[in-house]
Amino acid sequence: MNSRRRIYEATTKGMTIGATGIAVAVLLIVLLYVFRQGIGLLSIDLIRGNYWSENINIAFEEPEAKSFEKPADIPADAHFSSKFGFALADRKDPQGADLMTVVYIDPESPLHTAYSTTAGATQGQHVSIHQEASIQRIQYLNTDGDKKTAGPARRMFSKDTIKALDESAESLVLMYYQTEGGGIWGSIIATLILIGVTLVIVLPVGVAAAIYLNEVAGKNRLTAAIRSSIEMLSGVPSIIFGLMGMAMLFPVTQVFGANGPSILLGALTLAVVLLPVVIRQTEEALIVVPQSLRMGSLALGATQTQTIFRVVLPNALPGILTAALLSISRVIGESAALIYTMSTIISDSPSLLQPATSLAVQIWAITSAEQPNFELASAISILILAMVLVLNITVKVISVRLNRRWSA
Amino acid sequence: MQTVTQTPPKDKNEARLELGEVAFDIRNLDLYYGNFHALKSITVQIPARQVTAFIGPSGCGKSTLLRCFNRMNDLIEDVRITGEIHMAGREIHGPDVDVVRLRTEVGMVFQHPNPFPMSIYDNVAYGLRCQGVKSRQTLDAVVESSLKKAALWEEAKDILDRNALKLSGGQQQRLCIARAIALEPQVILMDEPTSALDPIATMKIEELMNDLKKDYTIVIVTHSMQQAARISDRTAFFLLGEVIEFDDTVTMFNKPSDARTESYITGRFG
Repeated sequence: MNSRRRIYEATTKGMTIGATGIAVAVLLIVLLYVFRQGIGLLSIDLIRGNYWSENINIAFEEPEAKSFEKPADIPADAHFSSKFGFALADRKDPQGADLMTVVYIDPESPLHTAYSTTAGATQGQHVSIHQEASIQRIQYLNTDGDKKTAGPARRMFSKDTIKALDESAESLVLMYYQTEGGGIWGSIIATLILIGVTLVIVLPVGVAAAIYLNEVAGKNRLTAAIRSSIEMLSGVPSIIFGLMGMAMLFPVTQVFGANGPSILLGALTLAVVLLPVVIRQTEEALIVVPQSLRMGSLALGATQTQTIFRVVLPNALPGILTAALLSISRVIGESAALIYTMSTIISDSPSLLQPATSLAVQIWAITSAEQPNFELASAISILILAMVLVLNITVKVISVRLNRRWSA
Repeated sequence: MQTVTQTPPKDKNEARLELGEVAFDIRNLDLYYGNFHALKSITVQIPARQVTAFIGPSGCGKSTLLRCFNRMNDLIEDVRITGEIHMAGREIHGPDVDVVRLRTEVGMVFQHPNPFPMSIYDNVAYGLRCQGVKSRQTLDAVVESSLKKAALWEEAKDILDRNALKLSGGQQQRLCIARAIALEPQVILMDEPTSALDPIATMKIEELMNDLKKDYTIVIVTHSMQQAARISDRTAFFLLGEVIEFDDTVTMFNKPSDARTESYITGRFG
């Protein structure tokens, strides 16, 4: 080997190593960015919380001042009201705006006797004040019997508010607070509904079509043409399916009573997007079932249908499960096809025939808002990544088992 | 312990073939795979309740003829068949023949054991269940008698619900025989049933065939001339899609009438 060839060898090898390095580095940077941005926000409150903040007016059944001991375990920056038994602290919301929150409530505090005075279905009902709720205004009666107002609405934060209450308040009149928004519970529920409905539509159709193509249809040009056109469908960008869904599937959802974008429309559209994937995966699973089992079954006087249902399908089940799991991860990750069909309106209580966002579309919605919230978007991204990762690992495990079964 | 043979509840109007009768009467059978002429005007009579062996080099049409008897060739595309095969007076390629029914009359055992990945019991009961038999009693009895006939009962009676794939190769092949017997067929076709098995398992299957020929017509394709000589009553020698010679096994192996048969049997080719 002369030196020129040696240099050539070293350069090409170096280039492949460099390319791999770039790929790995880019992946790591993306993951790192998402994690650094989002991990701080990730919490049970985020997952269980509503996206839209609610404004609530409350009054109290026992509003009178008592006297309370300051507990030892409240945060250092909190201010405790010894007359009403709760502590306030100043916080910042994800957008960086100041807000004042309740951080502690004594078991005997008047705040435990709160009921809603907001007009609507919950009026008069007992309200348990959410810790971390953002207090806007507190109205109280002072020693002279005059109504006074404290709170951020009067540019008074926790220190001034508590001072005003403890110096002159006799009883609380009402409190106006905002629940903390920015949660993703609604989108999680919408995503689950979407997954369920999509699978219910796509699995039976896809599996039946795969059975036809692989077991029933002869191996002729027509079958080959059908198969390759199905494969081509899987290359169509999903936004086009989204447009098609909006135009052609919307009338179908109208039959069920939808009058605009809805989860059902999104599910129908995704079913179309996923059909090629499910057919393809199921066919792969059917091909793996040894021909000798079909022969054995037919030679025992079983009909073709009996052979399919008693021998072929049970053995293809792990593969069909793989198809289902891959579909789920596609549904979780899909956004383009859903923007038109499910809308970008985040819903806190999604239902089948109403617009809502899946987690992926919620990312789209909050980053294209006036004040993009990258932290929340990253937190959702972490959740999506985690779910897809778990699904992919499950698929791997299943396919390893499947291979072991037939090679044994 | 019940040893009564349970007749599957299907409409068996024809009597069982007896010794001395003809199981398959093949007349001028030609078979083409596309343009390939795989069987050339075969005219042979397969005797009932005897073991008939098909020998010959690879690709000579032995298995193809075997698969005509239960019409497994139907599953291969582009197959054309002319000529006749009569079984108990019926032309089995006729348009009014119920193929599914024919396959319960003519069972088949394959080269590689192919039990279904389900329990031993379910494997044996498979054929009957496909016929719509649901009675647990009937199934129990048939499973037992079939496994006994296939000489597998002693080994399997305590593990009937174990997955059949856990059995050894020889046991799996006997299970496949039991599975075929469960339908009470007239004929059992065996396509090189021992070529994937070790000598001891092979011996067991051969003994089994000797027992089974009392009740069933057996047609076996084999690559082993010793096996044909050991177990068969009659032997057919195939070469390039033709039956060169069909005679008593003893006559065939001692005094073959065709020179090609002699050179094959003595190992000069094949």
